[in-house]
Amino acid sequence: MRFTTFLVDDDPGVLKALSRLIRTAGYESRGYLSPQDFLRDHDPDVPGCAILDLTMPDIDGLELQQKLSEDSIERPIIFLTGNADIPASVRAMKAGAVDFLTKPVKREDLLTAIARAEERDAQVRQNRSELQTIENKLAQLTPREREVLGHVIDGKLNKQIAAALGTVEKTVKVHRGRMMAKLGIRSVAELVRLAGRAGIAAQH
Amino acid sequence: MSVMAVHPNTRRLVEFEREARNFVLVGIAYYLAAQAAFFIGTLSDKIFAPFWPPNIVLLCALLLAPTRRWWLPVLAVFPAHAIAEHGVGMPVPQMLVAFATNCAYAIIAAFALRRAVGGPPWFGTLRKAWLYVLIAAIATPAVVALGGAYVRVLSDGATANYALSWTEWFMSNALGSMTLGPVALIALSARRWSLSSLPTRLLIEAGLLGVALVAVCAVVFEASVGNKASGFLPALLYLPLPLVLWAAVRFGVKGASGAILVVTLVLIWKALNGPSIFLTGDSETSVFAIQAFLIGLSIPILLLGASIDETRHAEQAVRESEERMTVAAVATSLSMWHFNYESESFWLTDHGREMFGFASGEAVTRYAVMSRIHPEDRQTAIEAMQAATAAGKLAVHEFRIVRPDGVIRWIRCRAGALGDYRGAPAQISGTFSDITERKAAEAEVALQRQELAHMMRVSMLGELSGGIAHELTQPLSAILSNAEAARILLTQKNPNLAEVAEVLDDIISEDNRAGEVIHRLRGLLRKSEAKFEPADLNDLAKSTLRLLHNELINRRIRTSINLERDLPLVSGDPVQLQQVLLNLLLNAMDAMNEMVPSRRKIVISTLLLNGEEIEVSVADSGVGLSQAGQTSAFQPFFTTKERGLGLGLSLSSSIIKLHGGELALQNNAHGGATATFRLPRLNAMMVAAKYS
Repeated sequence: MRFTTFLVDDDPGVLKALSRLIRTAGYESRGYLSPQDFLRDHDPDVPGCAILDLTMPDIDGLELQQKLSEDSIERPIIFLTGNADIPASVRAMKAGAVDFLTKPVKREDLLTAIARAEERDAQVRQNRSELQTIENKLAQLTPREREVLGHVIDGKLNKQIAAALGTVEKTVKVHRGRMMAKLGIRSVAELVRLAGRAGIAAQH
Repeated sequence: MSVMAVHPNTRRLVEFEREARNFVLVGIAYYLAAQAAFFIGTLSDKIFAPFWPPNIVLLCALLLAPTRRWWLPVLAVFPAHAIAEHGVGMPVPQMLVAFATNCAYAIIAAFALRRAVGGPPWFGTLRKAWLYVLIAAIATPAVVALGGAYVRVLSDGATANYALSWTEWFMSNALGSMTLGPVALIALSARRWSLSSLPTRLLIEAGLLGVALVAVCAVVFEASVGNKASGFLPALLYLPLPLVLWAAVRFGVKGASGAILVVTLVLIWKALNGPSIFLTGDSETSVFAIQAFLIGLSIPILLLGASIDETRHAEQAVRESEERMTVAAVATSLSMWHFNYESESFWLTDHGREMFGFASGEAVTRYAVMSRIHPEDRQTAIEAMQAATAAGKLAVHEFRIVRPDGVIRWIRCRAGALGDYRGAPAQISGTFSDITERKAAEAEVALQRQELAHMMRVSMLGELSGGIAHELTQPLSAILSNAEAARILLTQKNPNLAEVAEVLDDIISEDNRAGEVIHRLRGLLRKSEAKFEPADLNDLAKSTLRLLHNELINRRIRTSINLERDLPLVSGDPVQLQQVLLNLLLNAMDAMNEMVPSRRKIVISTLLLNGEEIEVSVADSGVGLSQAGQTSAFQPFFTTKERGLGLGLSLSSSIIKLHGGELALQNNAHGGATATFRLPRLNAMMVAAKYS
């Protein structure tokens, strides 16, 4: 799927012009006159960024940003506004916006921001897919193997793990081997990193 | 004269002093008058006193005193009478009867005169003089003589001729009242002795006249009986007449009564020892002749004098009234005019002549006046006046005049047709009033109002500057993006020119959008006088909302707009009407500051009522009008805002009034308030009037 910019602005003229401009840069662009329309249509799986106007009736840009984060939707946001308002811009950046631009906006400024958004979006997606893979792999572990994993990242020796699990060292070695093979890693360091990525914390 | 609180006792003392003094004076005067009469009798054996002066003394005393005090003079003269009569040996019964008769004459005459004439000036009008003659010289003497004749009867017994006695009494009282009465009354009633106020010329004239009269009378009454040609006698008797007439004509009643007195005195003096044309045989007949002559002379002369005085006073009153009118008119810058269609004569007061710049000798004609009217105003002025006067109404019109010296003044003319007429008036009269100062003041007020309205607009726009900037930013932003896009499109291998054309079209329309905002702003920021033209209220409502777009969003206010389809135009100044809409909307927005955002709503609607009126309303869901607000919302300087001037509604209200409508404010049933105004729709007549 192509990278898509989602434009939300209550001014039809601006919407049309921006759309046009973005398309000349090769991006796909979709325009919405109101945040409600945008939310209704929104598909988080489509790669892209949101370009939001700040001052809109009903729900304004900042509120939309908040709503997206509440719904745990990670969509890079670029703010584009006619009013250069410092408090608003600080709030927007603190809440994680990619950039805060003022109208009239120059093509290069806009495209630079979109490129950054694209990077971030790609980053986010990659992270997500990696995480997904890890979780898939983790799902394949048996409960015993899971336990062993927990102890290994604790830094315990096989002997200690055997004692903890109430089994022999040999059994532990077998579990450990299988676990590492399933996860596709070769060292403990990698295991720790992977566990960290997956959010599995040390037990003790 | 100082105004002091006088102690009542002091006042009473002063009054008592005055009364006592008068009492004594009356008594003395009566006594002296009686003595004078006796004296004449002693001086001559040809005649005796033809009149009884004491009666006149008493009459004057009564006329000058209030009725309730009449017993005082009567009481005062009784001793005088008694002493005087006793001095000539009149027996007591006769003396008493004589006294009673004298008092009767004075009291009756005084009473009747009081009732009929009232008070001084006793001879001010002809009617008063006639009444005096009738009462004091004819009726009262006649009645009183009935009793007085008895004095003779008492003394002479049965041989007395009652009729003769009656005649003697009658003539005596009549003569006294005609010759002595007027002079005495005038002298005693004069409020101030104004001899000094008369011009010297008149004093000399009066003096000469007096001397001449004395001389002529002396000569005339001396002429020996039958000595010279007796045919001349009637002519001789007429000699004093021109002088007496002259006195009456020149000096009115004063002159008449004075002249009569002079003639009387000279005649008596001359007749004392003769020879005189009046002296016939016995003294009674001689006296009778004198009395008849003098009474016959004095009555018409006195009446003539009174008549002259009356006319003079009337003329004086008219002159004074005219003077007062002129002064008043000049004070109010008013001049009067009158035009007679038949004789084509135009009358204009001096003040009017000055107003219109007529030279002192220049003739005033209708043409001259009309030609001074400013050429631009002439036609309408003439038509307006003609229309109104033909319709029988008072015509009022204002126009400029150009004086010969080039100065331009504003004149207000009011005129009405006089009298009955059929269709075209025969006479027309009116006033001109110089209203240049007022016009200048009005113009200044109008200018100040304009300045104020402008200032309000500027301040409103100042509040909205953020929003307005935003309104311009949007189209500019769209234009930039479009242009940059077009640039890229043109660098492509096979440029899609159709798309580029579309882009350029969009740029143009965005530019127009911005241009519209600027245009509206320029209009609002301009300081110019109201220019009426066809205006679309729907358009104005929409563009006002656009101006406020940003502000409305910032404040989280939802708007709903209900515009009547095909709303007819109105005649008005779009800038001022937009100012009103801005003001109403800003007020509505401010009213909702305290409300929860979800409850902030403004509804603008336009409506066509009964095909003739257009109603525009701005409804909010705010705090509504307080009690004070309901009564004083339109008052200048009334505001509920912290930093408000309080002039917005007042100005808006006067703008709407200027447009022929009325602005109203009302609380809504479900909270908030609605501002409404109605304007008449633009129709063909208004178009013709405005653009003619």
